[in-house]
Amino acid sequence: MSAAAREKDIALRMTLRLESLSWEQRRKLTGLLFVLPTVLFVTVFFIIPLAMTVFMSFHDWPLIGEQSWIGTTNYTELAKDRQYLKSLDFTFRYTILVTPPIFILGFILASLVRHNIRFIGIFRTIFFLPVVIGLGVSSLLWIWMLDQRVGIFNKILLDLHLIAKPQLFLAKPTTAMNVIILSVVWKTVGFTMILLLAGLQSIPDELYESADVDGAGYFRKLLYITLPLMRRTIALALILSVIGSVLAFDQFYIITRGGPRNSTISIVYWIFNNSFTYWKMGYGAAMSIVLLGILVALTSVQYYVLRERY
Amino acid sequence: MTSRRIVFAVLIMALCIGALPLSAQDEGVTMTMWVRNIGDQVQELVDAWNDRGGNQIELTVIPPNEFVTKMGAAIAAGESPDIASIDLIYAPAFAAAGQLLDITDWVDALPYADDLLPAHSELGTYQGRKYAVPFLIEGSFMMYNKGLFEAAGLDPETPPTTWDELLEAARAISAIDDETYGYYFAAACAGCNAFTYLPFIWASGGDVLSEDYSEATIATDPIVREALEYYRLMWEEGLIPESASIDDGGSFVSAFGTGTIGIAGTGAFGINVYRNDHPELNLGAFHIPGKDGGAASFGGGDVIAIGSGTQYPEEAWEFLEWMMSDETQLELYAARNRTTVRVSMLENEYSKDDPLVLTAASALAVGKSPYSLVYNDLFNDPNGPWLEMIQIAILDGDIDGALQLGQERFTQIIEG
Repeated sequence: MSAAAREKDIALRMTLRLESLSWEQRRKLTGLLFVLPTVLFVTVFFIIPLAMTVFMSFHDWPLIGEQSWIGTTNYTELAKDRQYLKSLDFTFRYTILVTPPIFILGFILASLVRHNIRFIGIFRTIFFLPVVIGLGVSSLLWIWMLDQRVGIFNKILLDLHLIAKPQLFLAKPTTAMNVIILSVVWKTVGFTMILLLAGLQSIPDELYESADVDGAGYFRKLLYITLPLMRRTIALALILSVIGSVLAFDQFYIITRGGPRNSTISIVYWIFNNSFTYWKMGYGAAMSIVLLGILVALTSVQYYVLRERY
Repeated sequence: MTSRRIVFAVLIMALCIGALPLSAQDEGVTMTMWVRNIGDQVQELVDAWNDRGGNQIELTVIPPNEFVTKMGAAIAAGESPDIASIDLIYAPAFAAAGQLLDITDWVDALPYADDLLPAHSELGTYQGRKYAVPFLIEGSFMMYNKGLFEAAGLDPETPPTTWDELLEAARAISAIDDETYGYYFAAACAGCNAFTYLPFIWASGGDVLSEDYSEATIATDPIVREALEYYRLMWEEGLIPESASIDDGGSFVSAFGTGTIGIAGTGAFGINVYRNDHPELNLGAFHIPGKDGGAASFGGGDVIAIGSGTQYPEEAWEFLEWMMSDETQLELYAARNRTTVRVSMLENEYSKDDPLVLTAASALAVGKSPYSLVYNDLFNDPNGPWLEMIQIAILDGDIDGALQLGQERFTQIIEG
């Protein structure tokens, strides 16, 4: 039998086998085939690692060496871990401080680049550019820009006579936090801008035109047309921004190294430290599971508050 | 020649050509070796080894702060190197985890086994078995700028021997001008301060851990408080540049090289750096002093071990043996201002006229290395209690708070 004939034979047999199924069964099978890649992806990259993390969290699991089952000890230890609670507190304070500027600035930028006028693409690209740089690279860039000897910030502030001598931005907890926020806003605002821009552009112009006819001003249009119609986009932008902030790590690990005086250790940084520096993988896993629970709760609340109400 | 013979001849030739690279490969194996980034010494050694032909070594240099993390992750992933140069302080932890090859028999068979530096050898030993041998030898000591001593009206040939003398020298140097400072320490670098600040406490008879390393003595040992107050005083008086407060080790060596610092802690690694990069500096060295005299040093550096998962244990040992041999120690260590791994060779034809190298070598006589499985968590971790205590006490001035926090966190970590 030639190769072509063999293939034809196989195709025929498969068809016959499929034909023996009812319409309903075939529909289910087709549906299953369509979702199969996603199911596989989610299983391999989410469900299995999650199950492993849960499993690890009930063990004393050193990075190297033997593991042993310790039940819920890792979870009870968490309540006594002062740095864990301090890191949670710091992470939430950081999230509360960093989310509004990213959102408001993103919204202003989106409004500015909304209309398709000449050269607008250049501005959209410039605002979006920092997003494509890796957070690690941008953090190193910021270390350099913040340096007291060669950094551009000190140079500008000195030239403007706003400071008398070069400042050590990372020496105090407050200034360290502020410069981190500044660097993150610079790095991520472009992404929020693009999300909000898509939302803005999906609002039909006719609504604004009729509002103009009714004599509505800018803020009235913003309150009664723009914001209500962008509810879904705003929800998405805020949820992504909040999740990103709660999971912040690179900027603290690279720029401040958790300092000064351990004042900028985010929760993921503390999980990393326990898992890889102190080799307590089981404890790190337990912290990750608790963090996952917190994130699910936070996202649910956000989703509920910003849900469609009509 | 018949066509059959021609085919036969061609086949033979092809076989010979094909075998050439094979036989070249058979001459040696390529081993992987990891080292933390502390200067060129290891690269020079590995280059010299590779130039001999035969077994080769592929060196991977890892940022010092990330060595333990990367090594741990690599071991967990089953990708550990054949040979590892490990900060000696971590050797017990890696040996305890069963990740280093037991080389007791090989070490004991060396004719100079008893001549290997004792502090390093002790840290390479776990439960009576030997897992690592001395490799990079660093005893901490103080480097001083003789030019600035002279400019400040101090005798450049009489370095300080007590805390008070050091303080007075730092004050005099700081008084030269606004750009010059008497003293320097990297206030955001945990490891640097274990290396150069702990000896201030040891030299005065104090310690932050009990003798068997099972208890923290931060709150109970009065010397710890006095040492913190001593640095705090220098900080308050402006004898240390403000930029030191954010130095996470990046300027630990280079700050002194600027020529604006009078005295700074360093190790043998500093000698070549300053001599090569700053030949204009007139350098002097002295031991880290105790409050009323005496001296101490942190016996640091690396030990070298063979990974328990290696396929080439004999070949790796061959490198270790070559490294410790008379010739390598003399020509690649001593001749290049480096401290030898053999006690009897500390004073040698190269070091005998070099006061800096002699100070570095003699620092080992007063050297101490804490033997603790949780050393990293206590001292070296940038977010650990040692650095936090130093920063709160010296930079913020809250000595009581720092002592209490240090005692609590040390105890928590020691008790697991």
